[in-house]
Amino acid sequence: MTILEVSEVLKAEVLVKGEGCQKAIRHVVASDLMSDVLLVDEDDMLLLTSLSSDQVLRTAQIVGAVGVIVVNGKPLPSSMVNVAHDLRMTLATSPFSKYDACVAVYEALKLK
Amino acid sequence: MSDAIQKATDAATGNEPLVLLELIQRLKVRDVMTSKLVTVSRSDTMHAVQELMRQMKISGVPVEENGRFFGLVSIDDIIRALGGGYINDACSKHMTTKLVVLEDDMPLSFALRYFDRYRYGRFPVLNRDQHLVGIICQRDINRALLVELTNELNRIESVSSHMPGADMAYSIYVLREFPICKYDFENAGKAANQIKQVLQEKKFPPKVIRRIAVAAYELEINLCVHSDGGVLSWQISNGRAEIIARDAGPGIEDVEWACRDGTSTANEWIRSLGFGAGMGLANVKRVSDEFEITSKKGSGTTVKSVINIAAPELSVS
Repeated sequence: MTILEVSEVLKAEVLVKGEGCQKAIRHVVASDLMSDVLLVDEDDMLLLTSLSSDQVLRTAQIVGAVGVIVVNGKPLPSSMVNVAHDLRMTLATSPFSKYDACVAVYEALKLK
Repeated sequence: MSDAIQKATDAATGNEPLVLLELIQRLKVRDVMTSKLVTVSRSDTMHAVQELMRQMKISGVPVEENGRFFGLVSIDDIIRALGGGYINDACSKHMTTKLVVLEDDMPLSFALRYFDRYRYGRFPVLNRDQHLVGIICQRDINRALLVELTNELNRIESVSSHMPGADMAYSIYVLREFPICKYDFENAGKAANQIKQVLQEKKFPPKVIRRIAVAAYELEINLCVHSDGGVLSWQISNGRAEIIARDAGPGIEDVEWACRDGTSTANEWIRSLGFGAGMGLANVKRVSDEFEITSKKGSGTTVKSVINIAAPELSVS
């Protein structure tokens, strides 16, 4: 399942389609602590977060994530969209809460 | 706007990661401004200011008393005073008081953005105590950039002459320095992002790229969050990547404590930005083959992370 398909599940608006938007998601991390995200050594991960800052995207690029979905329907600063374009990172925003998003993504991906 | 400033402004927007970008981040307004000021006091007349401008061949005069800045009299103010018949009034009545000012410890990139945004010919510069310490105009910036670029070119030529030969293992030789400003979250992480992009272009193994990128990113964020500003440098030669974060303060009281998981001195604001969980240095240590930290409270900190590119890959989990 790709981040674009997951975005549909989460009723998310896709603001930027990056390089990894067609890649199959192999791991999901839901966190607002960027150092925790940096600890995860998994390829092609999806990052779910309620944090809306440029550093979320920079962190996602460092760990090679396929993209970022910001939850809680937060309005995203325009700088985030610019950084996502610069880093060619997929960026979407979902009205789901982080908990609901995690449950929905788990169901959709059937990951354990 | 001159070509040099235009290029620097372009670089400041991130369009071109050039030596110029590093310069305009590293240089502070205080390094570039004119600090020998011609000033007047509030009781001086507009006529006296006009005479001063004529004698000194300047187009704006700050109004200050004992370091306290009150306003600025520009050519436009003088022209209006002549037209309005109040050239003999005290300048305090007619000086421009709604001013955009710069602080002396701002990076030069801020000043460039201000020139672009406000289209003023000059900006007064204040220190942290709000005392007038200088004035900066575009000519000051051109002059400073020319000098610094010449120095930088000399340095790059010197480094190039010591490059290892093509027969050495991993003959790529990269040496870059990124100035990192305190609390500059707009740019924090850019250096690590660029490092990762370079390594991807050079087709290094993904696991190695990840470790180098994580170390660079954590160290860059540390400089931004905990130091008074510093420099992140990295180089690759002879099969090893070396990332060094160096700052001039404030120093770490207990280095061993700071390297433990979960220990942090970050405030709530930094935590709200997703950092300060106390994993930074521990994370750098985890991905490094060699890790060194030297620090002293009240002085600077230097952290060095070495990652062997040819060594068996280590798990970062």
